[in-house]
Amino acid sequence: MKFKSLLRASAPVLFAISTATAAPVLAGVGHGDGASGQVGQSSDVSRTIMVTMYDNYYEPAEISVREGETVKFIITNAGELVHEFNIGTPDAHDAHGPEMMMMVEHGILEADRINWDAAKKMQKNMGHGMHEEPNSALLEPGKSAEIIWQFPDHATLEFACNVPGHYDAGMVGDIKLSH
Amino acid sequence: MRAGLIGVLHLYSNQGMTIMLTSIVSRAAVLGVGLGMALSGAAWAGTYNLTVDYVTIDTGEFTRTGIGYNGSAKPPTLRFKEGEEVTINVTNNLDEDTSIHWHGLILPYQEDGVPGISFDGIKPGETFTYNFPIIQGGTYWFHSHSGFQEPDGAYGALILEPEEREKYRYDKEYVVQLTDTHPHWGSRIMRNLKMMPDYYNRQQRTLTDFLSDASETGLDAAWADRANWGEMRMMPTDIEDVQGFTPMINGMGPDQNWTGLFEKGERIRLRFINSSAMTYFDIRIPGLKMTVVQADGNDVLPVPVDEFRIAVAETYDVIVRPREDKAYTVFAESMGRTAFARGTLAPREGMEAEVPALRNPPLLTMADMALDPAMASMDHGSMAMGEMDHANMPMSDDDLPPGAHRMPDGTIMGGPGKDPFYAAGSGVTPEAAKKHGKFLSYKDLKASNPLYPDREATREIELRLTGNMERYIWSINGVKYQDADPIRLQYGERVRFKFVNETMMTHPMHLHGMWSIIDNGTGARDPIKHVVSVAPGTEVYMETEVDAPGQWAFHCHLSYHADSGMFRKVIVEGGPEDDLAKLNLPTGG
Repeated sequence: MKFKSLLRASAPVLFAISTATAAPVLAGVGHGDGASGQVGQSSDVSRTIMVTMYDNYYEPAEISVREGETVKFIITNAGELVHEFNIGTPDAHDAHGPEMMMMVEHGILEADRINWDAAKKMQKNMGHGMHEEPNSALLEPGKSAEIIWQFPDHATLEFACNVPGHYDAGMVGDIKLSH
Repeated sequence: MRAGLIGVLHLYSNQGMTIMLTSIVSRAAVLGVGLGMALSGAAWAGTYNLTVDYVTIDTGEFTRTGIGYNGSAKPPTLRFKEGEEVTINVTNNLDEDTSIHWHGLILPYQEDGVPGISFDGIKPGETFTYNFPIIQGGTYWFHSHSGFQEPDGAYGALILEPEEREKYRYDKEYVVQLTDTHPHWGSRIMRNLKMMPDYYNRQQRTLTDFLSDASETGLDAAWADRANWGEMRMMPTDIEDVQGFTPMINGMGPDQNWTGLFEKGERIRLRFINSSAMTYFDIRIPGLKMTVVQADGNDVLPVPVDEFRIAVAETYDVIVRPREDKAYTVFAESMGRTAFARGTLAPREGMEAEVPALRNPPLLTMADMALDPAMASMDHGSMAMGEMDHANMPMSDDDLPPGAHRMPDGTIMGGPGKDPFYAAGSGVTPEAAKKHGKFLSYKDLKASNPLYPDREATREIELRLTGNMERYIWSINGVKYQDADPIRLQYGERVRFKFVNETMMTHPMHLHGMWSIIDNGTGARDPIKHVVSVAPGTEVYMETEVDAPGQWAFHCHLSYHADSGMFRKVIVEGGPEDDLAKLNLPTGG
């Protein structure tokens, strides 16, 4: 359902790629309900939060932001496995899990790399693949990405990795919204 | 910070039993700079005391005298730290020899606790002191390696706290240690099995079953089926050859209901250990997804499952997250569905959830008899199967398990989950109780921290798992332990073991002292285990980096199979000069 086109050419540039390797950065799929906030403008960014992803946890373990604040996240995968940084409600993460499992089953999402050939094949065979979402970044080991995100006034939010098993193993943190 | 600290700590097991731990922390400050530097890797030195005693075991269904530790029938939990140098004093209060084997631990072979291979055993009234460094993390267990003391109750849990941060997060943890407590002493069970191999098989097919088969498949087919099973000296119900036990969790029977407490939303790590003598369990917690994070003490990439099978002597660590303020049943059915263990996860003591009914017992199929038609003649096996014409195998399509289907050429494909670690069409292929649920397979296990570079094996050793059910003799390559030469390995080689299971039972093979890397097609992330379960009619490959000098046991972990001969001594020859000089190989065994 939420698998649309793979790397739509017309998609807005949702995050810059900060690594020299300039590999395409895949976002996971999901969200879209606006409850977790929206894409922020770089001119509104009040601060930058560095997030490092390890196997299978984040540093920092939780994040505090103000209501309505626009934050730039610089996310680095320092682990040996593929990880995701995804901002969403617990329900959105729940819904996102099976989609990620599908990517595993189609051989797109391997333990430590993203198989682009398999992604193209799935796109060709099934008419859908992965597409970029502004609320998340799916990163191979060693890769980095940026997300600019404007938080809502009220929400129960988590940042989480929905690579199968990772959320359940504890790769999730609370986002605390304060006045 | 730790330098010079000398303290006495109390260590509490999950059953509330206290084990004295004298902890002496020695660092440069106390020992002088030179010695301190030499010991820089071993900051902790703990001393632990265990007594081996006759105890009364109460399963809730019967009581019996058995063997336990520190005067208790509840299995103790010992908790060590990676990097710690442990000293364990084991005092034998029995009137026979005893021993403790530290199952899955990498240690000098003299500390491995197998009488006749690692040491002479511990005589009645004596205290033996084990001393070894802890160089790994994870969930393991320990048990007597003498006679049938382990089935009689001599086992406990080992938790090794890793030095590095773990790759998963949890708020609470519980050991869930399973066993199959039998009212009979192990020695009596062995005598009865030798006398009558089906002594404890309560699921024998009856005349009524035969007439029922005959009405379904016709008299000729039913009779041919009977004749085939009869020639093999096996029965379709030979899945559990010792029945009549009460499964226990942490020393508590189903009615005694071991309970682990939680607050909703917490992540709980459950350390499952199967310390049974003979029984595999299929484990689920209705209402909860389990995320498998460790197998046999080694982390795996997290796998969410609804159910998993735990072979005898395996361990699996799972993380669950109950989100509701209610009780959940931990339900472990024996693979032959003759009994179940049951415990509860609950927000408060005394709460219970529904206990599911046992599913129908599986029946072995012709697929469990032989790997391929070439094997059906069995002229190289010791099992008296006689001549079997594969083309006339009487298995009808109705006998196929759900999901399996017959190909145009007559071969059987698929089955539930298409688990490659079971023969196609096997009667013991696991299937989740939950509709479309995920049942863990060995193929799902991927090492989180591969311990060795992936390299080509230097040679292959074939081990056929064989048996003569009529005389209750279990063997390897048709030869029982007492008549077999040791397996000689060279230090530094990587050996590929090929298991070929020619029997109709599932065998959990356990190599001491060195890791068993299962070839599940994952390559560099092939899972690292200490037990490899080999299902009937299958070939399973495992590779071992031969990096531990000395001599080691290698055997089926079903107690009565190991004792009757499915056992080998492995001798590792060569190795670093330093290690060689320290070796003082006993000649016995």
